[in-house]
Amino acid sequence: MSGGGGRPGRGGPRYPAWLALPALGWYAAFFLAPLGFIAAYSFAELSGFVGIDFSWNLDNYRYLWEPVYRDIFVRTLGLASFGTAATLLVGFPFAYWLARYSRRRTLLLLLVIVPFWTSFLIRTYAWLIILDPSFPVFRAFHIDLLYTTSAIYIGVVYNYLPLMVLPLYAALERIDWALVEAAQDLGDSPLRAFRRVTLPLALPGVVAGSLLVFIPLTGEYLIPAILGGNKTAYTGTLIAQQFSEAHDWPLGSAIAMVVIASMTVVLVAFSRIAAHGEAAHG
Amino acid sequence: MNEHEIEDVLDGRRVDRKGFVAGTAAAVAALGLGRFGAADALAASGAEAGELFYYNWADYVNPKTYPAFTNATGIKVKKDFYVSNEAMLAKLKGGARGYDLIVPTGYMVSILSQEKLLQPIQWSKLPTVKRNINSKFRHLPFDRNDRFSVPKDWGTTGFMYRTDLVKERPKTWREFVNLTKGKYSGKVTVLDGIPELIGSMLVMLGYSYNTDNPSQLDKAKQELIALKPHLRAITSTEYKQQLIAGKIVMALGWNGDGLAVAAKKPAAYVIPQEGAEFWVDSYAIPVGAKNPEAAHKWIDFVYAARNNAVETSYTYYGSPLKPALLRGVLAKSILNNPAVFPSSAVLAKLQANQVTARGTALRNRIWTEFKNA
Repeated sequence: MSGGGGRPGRGGPRYPAWLALPALGWYAAFFLAPLGFIAAYSFAELSGFVGIDFSWNLDNYRYLWEPVYRDIFVRTLGLASFGTAATLLVGFPFAYWLARYSRRRTLLLLLVIVPFWTSFLIRTYAWLIILDPSFPVFRAFHIDLLYTTSAIYIGVVYNYLPLMVLPLYAALERIDWALVEAAQDLGDSPLRAFRRVTLPLALPGVVAGSLLVFIPLTGEYLIPAILGGNKTAYTGTLIAQQFSEAHDWPLGSAIAMVVIASMTVVLVAFSRIAAHGEAAHG
Repeated sequence: MNEHEIEDVLDGRRVDRKGFVAGTAAAVAALGLGRFGAADALAASGAEAGELFYYNWADYVNPKTYPAFTNATGIKVKKDFYVSNEAMLAKLKGGARGYDLIVPTGYMVSILSQEKLLQPIQWSKLPTVKRNINSKFRHLPFDRNDRFSVPKDWGTTGFMYRTDLVKERPKTWREFVNLTKGKYSGKVTVLDGIPELIGSMLVMLGYSYNTDNPSQLDKAKQELIALKPHLRAITSTEYKQQLIAGKIVMALGWNGDGLAVAAKKPAAYVIPQEGAEFWVDSYAIPVGAKNPEAAHKWIDFVYAARNNAVETSYTYYGSPLKPALLRGVLAKSILNNPAVFPSSAVLAKLQANQVTARGTALRNRIWTEFKNA
């Protein structure tokens, strides 16, 4: 959290610390406190069908070393990595074109945001119709992707693409393209200019977009449940199973804690990359 | 069926009918249209009789029953839906209050009452129930003193198939599993229910539906893991439509759904020869109900023979009313249908969900491995 107080930023204005209070209070009440509950539950013991005995029992974490949980974590990591890479590959050229060349930016940006007007759930259900083997395109080629891993991956790219495009566009849109032209005038090839000028300047957008896609994907629950036919376990579905079917809140909490800890590591790694980028070109 | 059979068999379970899409749509409708319709009814009756907040499985009430109830009592019905007993328990346990009426399965009645999440039924407010209920459905094992529950209906967990798309005539769990792994691979779904699916495999292997024995459970797990790659989906909510559309040809599910499919396409529901689960779903009133009075009125209303026939001819689940009362009002095709009202010989082979807490924990681990396979 970056609440902080009157930091004397290098000669900049002093920040009135109280401006951070509402956010600080909000996060304390709705983030830190629940996080504390989850931590406490993760050491608790299940008694009977739904009873919870609070203790300092490590069994829930010990279970997570079993191969089945490792498989599920690895599969989830695969999904999140694929989703991040795919949305970046699809989203970057589009955001680049949008920021540098397009004349209809406002309209196109609006079109990127339009899907958000409909619920995530309904949009995902809509893909059931598209991926159905009787849908014209698929029927023509006898392709049946519904309830497969491919269907999950397609749903992921579709649903998460805007989360990648928007921060990328925000970063690219601020670039002074004269810098790129200058690099090329001074002898850089277009590719080299892209790598040495454009990419570093766009890096904060790449980092922000990747985090926005990667982190929620590690807890993705709906897309595997709906488009995957509920057949494949990911950490999101595993956690949901503990809370809504098995009533094993302690185990569900332990899985959540492991996910949160892993995410913290990823977050620190990403922010280091971003800091490097900024330090080198700031 | 006699008392002993019911005693042996009881404490059943079932889940939702039509499902999440239908449930969501119905919830949307309840929010929008429902409110409008209820306001109309209120204006018509001219009396403020309050509201019943009914928390139920999706598509588990004949849509005609709601307006009929409102006309008769002036009480408008507000609806919310759940997809499993467990999901409903999670919501109540998590502190959700304000529901007046819920429909837990037998084993969930005992869990909810142990958790002090139910309030007692006031039998003095249920004259029609007292008059019409089949005595076999009183004092059931999950609620010996009828303190917290009144039976709504009952059924079985077996499998169903399209008789025009499946040439074979499977009669056992083993045949169902072999056909799924063979000829109809990729065209079969199973319930998204932990005790139902694991229990069905246990019964196929000749073990008790409710066993706690780890080696028996392990054998059931091996069966499930071998079955997994051949399944189209794991769903409690979409198999009915998929069977009707012919996208799948067989499904592990509940008898009412099987009969609903058979009403539209050539299809059969099978209680496998090895045995199967028998369940009773009951009305119960959760703590924090705002209008328990209205809940009692609903229960008493649907226990009138004619109203009950309307329900049974929609859900295709067994009625807890005295058989003689149903004879005049319920269609013979339903009354004489062994999938709705099985014979004593078949009933004797059924078992109710009485899985222990330990057995539940073991099943949860198996479920994770099954989903991971």
